[in-house]
Amino acid sequence: MTNRRDFLKTAAALTGTGLLAGCDGFEAEPQSPVSFTPGKPLPWINWAGNQSCFPSARLAPVHEDELVAMLKNAKGAEGTIRAVGAGHSFSAVVPTNDTLITTDLMSGVISHDPVTVQAEIWAGTRMHNLGPMLHEIGQALPNQPDMDYPAMGGAIACSAHATGKGFGSMSSYVTGLTLATPSGELLECSATSHADIFQAARTSLGALGVVSRLKLQNLPSFKLVETNRVEKTEDVLDDFAARIAQHRHFEFLPLPHTSLCATVTTDIAKEGDVNVGEEDSSAAHTLRKVFNALSWLPGIADATYEKVLSLALGGAGTEIRTGQSFEVFPHVRTVRFREMEYTVPAELGAACVREILKTIRDKKIPVCFPLEYRYVKADDIWLSMFEGRDGIAISVHQYGDLDYKAYFSQIEPIFWKYQGRPHWGKIHTLTQPQLAALYPHHWQDFKEIRSALDPSGRMLNAHLKSLFGI
Amino acid sequence: MHLTKRCTAMLAALLFLPPAVFAADLTQRQAQLLANNCVQCHARVDIGAPIMGNPADWKERSKQGEEKLLMNVIVGLRGMPPLGYCSACDEQDFRALIRFMANLPDFDKTAVKGESK
Repeated sequence: MTNRRDFLKTAAALTGTGLLAGCDGFEAEPQSPVSFTPGKPLPWINWAGNQSCFPSARLAPVHEDELVAMLKNAKGAEGTIRAVGAGHSFSAVVPTNDTLITTDLMSGVISHDPVTVQAEIWAGTRMHNLGPMLHEIGQALPNQPDMDYPAMGGAIACSAHATGKGFGSMSSYVTGLTLATPSGELLECSATSHADIFQAARTSLGALGVVSRLKLQNLPSFKLVETNRVEKTEDVLDDFAARIAQHRHFEFLPLPHTSLCATVTTDIAKEGDVNVGEEDSSAAHTLRKVFNALSWLPGIADATYEKVLSLALGGAGTEIRTGQSFEVFPHVRTVRFREMEYTVPAELGAACVREILKTIRDKKIPVCFPLEYRYVKADDIWLSMFEGRDGIAISVHQYGDLDYKAYFSQIEPIFWKYQGRPHWGKIHTLTQPQLAALYPHHWQDFKEIRSALDPSGRMLNAHLKSLFGI
Repeated sequence: MHLTKRCTAMLAALLFLPPAVFAADLTQRQAQLLANNCVQCHARVDIGAPIMGNPADWKERSKQGEEKLLMNVIVGLRGMPPLGYCSACDEQDFRALIRFMANLPDFDKTAVKGESK
């Protein structure tokens, strides 16, 4: 049987190049927002290429004492300080032209306890390094996002998450942390020590200082099996409650302008589970070619696109990946994109995604990049998108070389209708008044902690000032 | 984003490199930056990134010259993210890491600047 990869490539080749707008109906954008000349100041640019700055100081501490000294002395204790991990955020949480503190060199496992299955790590540890490190001590993160490029400190700062009814965000695994404050104190925070600061710092956007260490509640190492299928979006939505109850993890990715979606189901591996099929890290590029090639067909573009995709994807059967958890959770990302994500109350997820898909169809928005639909368990972290309510996180994406603003601006108001809270690390346009209303329990508590730790706002760049109304 | 999947093997760069390769000058700091950033793609087969220390992957690229490779690393190119994820790297770090990964003794630093890839 032809697999999805081969069929998609064949379909793209047969249908030729884009004759009309298709996915490329938006203005083209340069891949990088700034240029660079050797010998001149080095820019900082995020992964997606939509954020940049020219920091006058780029500091990389190797231990906490150095970090503390840098915070005290940065630009003579004046100017903005921001911390960065891998730079994977799409929102402007990082840029500053003053002091950028990078955590690359504060990496690794500090200590671990086999009885409690906890480990303390440096916050600069990249997720892709952490998996093997934890495996060596018989531990594993309970859940992981579908890519492992970020630093753990950055993931926690933005409440990065994956999917699964029984699993909260990455921040919910943190049982303790060490915070280097702007004044140069090192605070060990947990549920019993500086408890309020702990609740604020578990999702802080880096507004309280720089988190240097994280204590994580892990699980004993485990293996997973992930099954990928192509199904009908409406069938999946109708069956969603059952699937998230039956499986350790479940998510799906609706394909705009079609009735199809890709489903990803992940469970603990059983004896005899084996890989089937192969990953195609450039599948999104192929999808774009197919969409572009067919979108010129007057009046029947959607139907033809769906027919081709149904043939290409529907008959290909399932693809299965097995391995240690840290090998199965993440996937390679070679296609750069921009992303907006909001989390809506779990019971409103289906209606919200249906309205988004209908809007794309009715307004003929020329987009082919799949959406993403994930379930995340509620937590009690003050600025977590999942604070106080189970949530459905719905993401929309645009290719990195196309303008995303026109598309996102038509979708974002739909999220607002459904009480959506924006992902802190992804693109959105909300500021203090709307955000305060979305976080009725602890928005003010967080602001008071922030003000106490950083009264002069040294950790705030322009983006954070707009978020917190400062 | 993933539509189709496969468990992709992460290979230690050591598998590709004869011992002499490690004579290249990397400071301890640069070695850590390499491990935290570059290795995640440049020691990973079948994602399209040139494998570090594998001459066949670097021969054509090296003809562009170090300046062009440096600029590609800084601003990003196709699947290569800006800065290669390394916010801690300065220009000298990037140059050292490029030389280390390309590992070509006849690395042509004098190639025409601005030549497209």
